[in-house]
Amino acid sequence: MSSRSEILGAIQALEKREIHHPGDFKSYKATQDLVGDFKNSLSIVGAICIEAENKQKAEARLSEIYPDLLRYTSHDVVTNGLELEAVDVLEIDGLFGVAENGAIWLSDQFLPNRVAPFICQHLVIYVAKSEIVATLHEAYERLDGHYADFALFLSGPSKTADIEQSLVIGAHGARSLTIILT
Amino acid sequence: MLNHAEASEKFIEDAERTTWHDETLWFVRSKRDKVSKLLPEWEALREQASLIKDHTLANLGQYLIEFESNAQKNGIKVHWAKDAQEHNEIVHSIISKHGGKALVKSKSMLTEECHLNEFLTKKGVEVVDTDLGERIVQFRNEVPSHIVLPAIHLKKEDVGETFHEFLGTPKGNKDPQFLTEAARQHLRGYFLGANVAITGVNFAVAETGEFVVCTNEGNADMGAHLAKVHIACMGIEKMIPKRKDLGVFLRLLARSATGQLITTYSSHFAKPRKGQEMHIILVDNGRTRQLARDEFRNSLKCIRCAACFNTCPVYRRSGGHSYHQPVAGPIGSILAPNFDKSANVDLPFASTLCGSCSNVCPVKINIHEQLWFWRQDLMKDGLAPLGKSLSMKGMAFMFSNPTIFKMAGYMGRLVMRFAPFIVNNSFNPWFKQREMPEAPKESFQSWYKNRK
Repeated sequence: MSSRSEILGAIQALEKREIHHPGDFKSYKATQDLVGDFKNSLSIVGAICIEAENKQKAEARLSEIYPDLLRYTSHDVVTNGLELEAVDVLEIDGLFGVAENGAIWLSDQFLPNRVAPFICQHLVIYVAKSEIVATLHEAYERLDGHYADFALFLSGPSKTADIEQSLVIGAHGARSLTIILT
Repeated sequence: MLNHAEASEKFIEDAERTTWHDETLWFVRSKRDKVSKLLPEWEALREQASLIKDHTLANLGQYLIEFESNAQKNGIKVHWAKDAQEHNEIVHSIISKHGGKALVKSKSMLTEECHLNEFLTKKGVEVVDTDLGERIVQFRNEVPSHIVLPAIHLKKEDVGETFHEFLGTPKGNKDPQFLTEAARQHLRGYFLGANVAITGVNFAVAETGEFVVCTNEGNADMGAHLAKVHIACMGIEKMIPKRKDLGVFLRLLARSATGQLITTYSSHFAKPRKGQEMHIILVDNGRTRQLARDEFRNSLKCIRCAACFNTCPVYRRSGGHSYHQPVAGPIGSILAPNFDKSANVDLPFASTLCGSCSNVCPVKINIHEQLWFWRQDLMKDGLAPLGKSLSMKGMAFMFSNPTIFKMAGYMGRLVMRFAPFIVNNSFNPWFKQREMPEAPKESFQSWYKNRK
């Protein structure tokens, strides 16, 4: 007998218990200030936030934050992720943000490569102020029916506290994260 | 092997370090309290998570089949393993096909449970743990002492020494920033060169056939997106029915674990990238046995946040290694006897039954009750140490016999007042690190009877 049928057989041999799924969860109160809450969450998770109407206006601030660094802005697909190892600053588009935790939904349809937001030294993500939802429940509501081959919620720069609980920014992924709210 | 009490005794020899360990974990627990109280729906979320898991466990077979079929449609190869041995063999057979000599692995408690590293090392495969804490303990030939904070038993001086030995960092440098940077450079080389990446799984969604992996460091993604082969290993209890359920669990997980709003990365893997092979291994290893036990089934709801570790007065003062199990703490103590009753007979007793673990559990597992159920089960099987079963029998006799109870109380007070050395000696474990209390002159009963 295969392990599959052995495992499923052991489960099916158990007494049937009727327990229903509780249904979708609704968060208690919708926030009044999505952008304000989102910015607050970004500061908690260690991201830099810049408000700028468009990419041109963000330019000046970006060259201040990342002077003399190679910025990679192309959305063209890069088949071999290893080629992105040399990227200092990667600029990408986020689909929407989540106010309660500063997370941004990134889908591989809009990334040069899946590894791009991890392998670059610094990450810049553009998010529109009109594209912020309150909680993860609204986020999954919005994603209903939209499937990506790979996607993620990204909140803040990569971090670790594995040495004596001291927070260090820049573990394996991006050393800094700048969000440009347009 | 030392039992929990013996190993704890070693741990607390260094009082300063024990205090640091205790206070640091309590700090993490306090952060959890702070962020959880910011959500007015926190208790409702816990209830919801618990109900979803109840429902999933009651329909586990159906959800596993649904997940398998959707994952296969997505192009993921699905394997089933009934035990640790089969899991390890499946991993090895996949690696052998690709001729990999080194692989990168992000955190997976399941692979710790299956002792995958040992198995692969014996077969000549080098496993590189890429979570910083896990890499530190791997260098030191130790095991993680905490499922979320694997190196919490170490001080920065220890890490500095270890990195000096293995990574050539300057002797005496113990700066966390510097040491983390050294590990980043060291591990980047492995990420860029690895053929095979292994990750754990936090949640597997039956509805879509995708799985979610949560990290703060980004190590799971660095490995999985660069390697030609991605193997994800999961216990069958990691299943959830629908994608919308993820909202509930992702809101609870990081808040409960470290007091963060969410982990830095919550990656949703649905399909392999072009030219990549993606495998998922569904592992039983005793889980169906636990599923059949009414009183212990709830332990399978666990999402491995370790909130019960951080709150536990025993864990905080005895350290993870005293539990001699890959998953330590209160949850580990109710999971371990399912693997081997006699080897883990000490663990359900490594608790004060204060119930703090159950109160912080984001999926509402009745951990402290299960500890107590296991104690009864182990005593019934005659596995408890002779001293414990004899003293229990003695106490049962005394408490059911009022005359003897009164006499024993009288004798006890007499001894403690006039011959305290009879109890205040090293043969009495209750005297270790404690002063025995001053004995009252009379019992409560006699005071009550004689009161004016």
